[in-house]
Amino acid sequence: MSVLDRLPSDHAQQAFLAGAVCLVLGALFALTPLRAQLPSALYVFIEVGILFVVYGLLVLGLDLQYGHTGLVNFGHVVFFAVGAYTTAMLSAQDTFAGIGLGYPWPLALAAGVVVTAVVGAGVGVTSIRLRGDFLAIVTLATAEIFHSVFVNFEDVFGGNVGILGVPQPIAAVAADGDTRMMATLLVLGGVTLVTLAGVTRLTEAPYGRVLRAIRADELVTRSVGKSTLTYKMQSFVYGAALAGLAGGLFALYNGAVAPGFFTIQVTVTIWIGMLLGGAANHRAVLAGLAIIMGLRLLSRFALDVTPVGADVFASLRLIVVGLILVAVIRYRPAGIWGNEQELGVDS
Amino acid sequence: MGLSQNVVFGLVTGSYIAIAAIGFTLIYGIVNMINFAYGEYLTMGAFIGLLAVTMLPVPLPVAVLLAMAGGGVVSLVLARGFFTPINQTGPVPLLLTSIGLGIALRSAIRLVAGRSARYYDTDTVTYRFDSLPDLTVGSVDLLGGFFVTSEHLIVIGAAVVVFAVLHALLTRTDVGIAMRAMGDDESLARVRGIDTQRIRDSVWVLAGVLAGLAGVLIAIQTNVSSDTGFSHILQILSAAILGGAGSPYGAILGAYVIGLVLALSTAFLPSGLTGLSSAVAFVILVVVLLVKPSGIAGKEVREA
Repeated sequence: MSVLDRLPSDHAQQAFLAGAVCLVLGALFALTPLRAQLPSALYVFIEVGILFVVYGLLVLGLDLQYGHTGLVNFGHVVFFAVGAYTTAMLSAQDTFAGIGLGYPWPLALAAGVVVTAVVGAGVGVTSIRLRGDFLAIVTLATAEIFHSVFVNFEDVFGGNVGILGVPQPIAAVAADGDTRMMATLLVLGGVTLVTLAGVTRLTEAPYGRVLRAIRADELVTRSVGKSTLTYKMQSFVYGAALAGLAGGLFALYNGAVAPGFFTIQVTVTIWIGMLLGGAANHRAVLAGLAIIMGLRLLSRFALDVTPVGADVFASLRLIVVGLILVAVIRYRPAGIWGNEQELGVDS
Repeated sequence: MGLSQNVVFGLVTGSYIAIAAIGFTLIYGIVNMINFAYGEYLTMGAFIGLLAVTMLPVPLPVAVLLAMAGGGVVSLVLARGFFTPINQTGPVPLLLTSIGLGIALRSAIRLVAGRSARYYDTDTVTYRFDSLPDLTVGSVDLLGGFFVTSEHLIVIGAAVVVFAVLHALLTRTDVGIAMRAMGDDESLARVRGIDTQRIRDSVWVLAGVLAGLAGVLIAIQTNVSSDTGFSHILQILSAAILGGAGSPYGAILGAYVIGLVLALSTAFLPSGLTGLSSAVAFVILVVVLLVKPSGIAGKEVREA
């Protein structure tokens, strides 16, 4: 029996294995004399790649909420921001403005996830009964309220500057810049893959079937004796906690948080990635996110070779992004790799 | 600055929010969608008016009419092109489509008009009411000196005219009565022989006309940039939902509540936190949806 035959065949195990390999490789780069040497042309790929795996956690959480349970959360960025700010405020040392308590980062990261889950429960318990489009509006408005709070309470959140001096655990142990980028990408990518394995397990279990039943027809699901509200709350909180984890990791990678990282653009990117790939399919939503973030890369390169300004290019990119969202909903409502029957949409 | 000055500002803000919120709420009530791109219709109306004033050039009242006409055309064309084809898919796809369309429109406007804010040059005449008696009770300045500019009067006056015309439209004309019938029960309206597609189109045109007007009024009052509409959409939404989504009269009431709360909150918030006043409209929105989602005068929005 060869090694190949013993490789796991189901998606969850494959993702877990790949994630574990990434984490080990990342640890090797960070902790041993192993060095990475990257051509400078690759830097931009690694940078966008790191952002992609962080957003990957966000899209997996959102897909749990919308793709599986049908909860239209249009304020996902707020959970990302809460996780990031909590982690940053607890762990930052010598921050320029706002609170920096200087606790160890693992504690801060864990607290970030817990606080985000609690905030998620708070938002969920108040608004989850609302009809889809109204839930979208409430979550969107909640995100705007939080954004305004982060900007205005300068003594606490550092205003527009944000919280600086957040520890960067990987940068602290990596030998040089190239190795650090490689290790960061591998470690965060590993976390995302392990998370992918976890949510795949969860949604392939009977639990996931209940979630999808709620999405398809809540009344019927309730009539067979499932407490749909409990399931919806759990799904919402899991999604929020994942976004909190993404936020905490982002803060620890970036070394700083500021309101500018947590705008509605993040929510829109995640949503388009999810709808483009195909909601309710974990690997599809990651692929959709890759496409939409690939567009970002493409426009950066195009910027270098065309004479027009950055502003013009940013506008053009957003026009394309907006029209992709419109086109997907009209022509491929189940997304590229989504299952039309399962989502109950006609196309 | 006395509290009464804040009341003036609140009435002005309430007036243009009300004009926009009526259009927004009619779309909600009759097409059954939350149109997030609606803010961009305001921006386009404001720019059409600005172009008319500076390029053609025409007097301001003519420019306002052109902006209203332009808003109506834009609204109908976008509805036919983007929203009518997916009418049957339910409220969430419609909302998401409008968000995508809004992003595309806003970026397209920025591409053409740039980032900077533009101003209407209207010969400002400021009527001062400083000489009114100063009524002071305790430390609360009830009626301190305040001023009203001609722009303030234009905005408030336009709102009053709009309310009168709207009321006449909804109660005296066939189209308006059909709109109300559709808002109440669409299938019943269809059975009674109302051409629902034609009424829908009329609603889109009417909403666009109101958006064009509101856009010009905002621009006269402050300025216009590619973000003008987007920065007002949540206030418009808040007004419509506070009044009860789908109810035009509720939207008027909701808009003045939002306008006054916004203006007065700047007086009561501690200095340094006045930036929070923009969040006040969103707090109202969230609270209303959670406590009384049907608003002051609207239909039920919770699921059965």
